[in-house]
Amino acid sequence: MTVSEKNQAPAAIAVRNLDFYYGANHALKNISIDFPHGQVTGMIGPSGCGKSTLLRVLNRMYDLYPGQRATGEVIFDGCNILGPKVNLNVLRSRVGMVFQKPTPFPMSIYDNIAFGVRLHERLDRSAMDARVEDVLRRVALWPEVRDRLHDSAAALSGGQQQRLCIARTIATRPEVVLLDEPTSALDPVSTARIEELLDELKADFTIAIVTHNLQQAARCADQVAFFYMGEVVEVDSADRMFTAPREKRTQDYITGRFG
Amino acid sequence: MAGHDSQAATAVDTPCTSGRWQGNSLSDMRRRMVDRVATGLCWAATVLVLLMLFSILFVLVRNGISGLRWVTFVHVTLPPGQDGGLANAIVGSLIQTGLAVLIGAPVGLLTGIYLAEFTATDGRLINAVRFVSDLLLSAPSILVGLFIYMIVVVPTGHFSGLAGALALSILVVPVVVRTTEDMLRLVPLSMREAAFALGAPRWRVILSVCLRAARDGVATGILLALARVSGETAPLLFTSLGNMNWSVSPTAPMASLPVTIYQYAGAAYADWTALAWTGALLITTGILMINITVRLGLGRNRK
Repeated sequence: MTVSEKNQAPAAIAVRNLDFYYGANHALKNISIDFPHGQVTGMIGPSGCGKSTLLRVLNRMYDLYPGQRATGEVIFDGCNILGPKVNLNVLRSRVGMVFQKPTPFPMSIYDNIAFGVRLHERLDRSAMDARVEDVLRRVALWPEVRDRLHDSAAALSGGQQQRLCIARTIATRPEVVLLDEPTSALDPVSTARIEELLDELKADFTIAIVTHNLQQAARCADQVAFFYMGEVVEVDSADRMFTAPREKRTQDYITGRFG
Repeated sequence: MAGHDSQAATAVDTPCTSGRWQGNSLSDMRRRMVDRVATGLCWAATVLVLLMLFSILFVLVRNGISGLRWVTFVHVTLPPGQDGGLANAIVGSLIQTGLAVLIGAPVGLLTGIYLAEFTATDGRLINAVRFVSDLLLSAPSILVGLFIYMIVVVPTGHFSGLAGALALSILVVPVVVRTTEDMLRLVPLSMREAAFALGAPRWRVILSVCLRAARDGVATGILLALARVSGETAPLLFTSLGNMNWSVSPTAPMASLPVTIYQYAGAAYADWTALAWTGALLITTGILMINITVRLGLGRNRK
C-alpha cells in the first residue's frame, strides 16, 4: 500500500497477498505489489527469488503447467485475473510478454507480427501492412528489414530478433508488457538499443521488467522491487532504492555482498 | 603484437623432438598402436558394410536391368513365355502404398501430436499409447496381415486391394507417430510459450508454430514410412493376395510388386525369374529415390 501512496500513477496491476506454488514448493510468499500505470517497474533479486515467477503469474503463463498454482488476488482492469472465468487468450493479448531468449516463429518477419494480430483482430491487407510497419518503426527495426519483410525471421541477428519479438508483442496493442530478462542473451550494443526502446514504450504501456543487471534496473526503471526468497523485501523509486535502501538485505544485494 | 611475433619466430627455430617434447616414449608408442588398430577396425567394418550393400545392388542391377524394357511397364503379368510385364503389379503397389499412407499418415500425425503436445493431460494414457505404438513398430508384419485377414477379408468374403492398403497403413502409423513426436519435441518450449503469450489458443500454437517448425521432419517421417511399406510382402499375402490380371478396383484382389516377386522368384521359368529381379530393382530404386529426396530436403533445412 505504501507504494501506491508514494506513486502518483494509479496501479495498472495490483497484486495482493499472492502465494505461488510449484507443486509443494512455496515459491512466492504473500506478495503485494503495485505496477503503476505508464511506468517501468524493475524486478531484481538473486536467482530463484521468485521475480520471474511473479511475471508468469501476471499473464497466467503458469497455467500451461500442471502442478503450478497461485492463490490471492491480481487485480487488472477491475478483475481478479486469478479467477476461474478469465479468458486467458484475451488476458494474454492485453498483458504481453517478451522472453529471455529471442523466439522468432518459423515464418517470415511480416508473419511473425501478423500472427499475433490475426488472433484478435480482422484487418484488411493495407491495415495489416500499416500495423506491421508501425511496430517495426517503433522498435527501430524498420530500416533494417523493410526490404526483406517476407524473408525468414531466423536470418536476423539476436538483437534484431529480440526487437522483432518486442514488436510482435506490442502489435496486439497490450496495456501491459512483461519482459523476462530481455537483454541477458544480447551483446552490449543490442542491449543499449533495447533499453532506449523501453524508455519510448513506457509512454504507451505499463512495463514490468525482470533483470539481473542492476545498472539496467537503475537506468530503465521508475520503480524497483527487490525480491528475496519468494518475498518482496522492498519496493521504492529507482533513485531511492539504489542510493538509500531501507532494508539491510537490499543494501547487501545492491552492494554485491550476496546474490 | 611485435613481441608475440618474435616469440613465434624463436619457437620455430627450436626442434620439437627433444627434451620435454619427447614425452614418455613407451606409453606414447602403445597409444599410437591402439589408435592405428582401432582406426583399422573401423575402416574394415565400413568396407564390409559397403561391400555387402554394393554387392546386393550390383547383383540386382545385373539381373534386373535386362527387364527394364517398355514391355515390362505396359504388359500385365502373363503366363510364362508370353512376354509378360509388371504393369498390374507396379500400379497395384502404387495404389496400395498410396492408400496406406493416406490412411495411416493422418492417424500417425494426430497421435504424434497428442503424445508430444498434450503432455499435461494424463501421463499414464500417454505412456500407454507410446508403448503400444513402439510395440507396433517392431511387430512382425505377417501378424498385421493375419489381423486384417480376420477383420476385413473374412467378413467381406474376398481378398481386396483395400485390405492390403489397410494392412500396410497399420505399419505406417507407428513410424509416423514416432517421427512426429520426436520432431515436435525438438521444438523449443520457449517458442510454444511465446505463441501462448500472444494469446494464441492451443490449436493455433500447435498448427501454426510447432508443426510449422517441425514441418520438414514430419514430412521426412511420412516419406520414410512410405519407403518402409513399399517393400512389405507378408502383410499383403492374406489381404490383397495378388492378381495376374489388370485390376485397379480396391474391392478386388490386387497385384503388387513384392507379392509378384515372391511368386515369380521361386518359379521354374527363366522369364518369370528375370521379371522378379526387375521388380526388385524397381522397388529398390523407388526406395532409394525416396531416401535421396529426404536427404535433399533435410540438407536444405540445415542450411
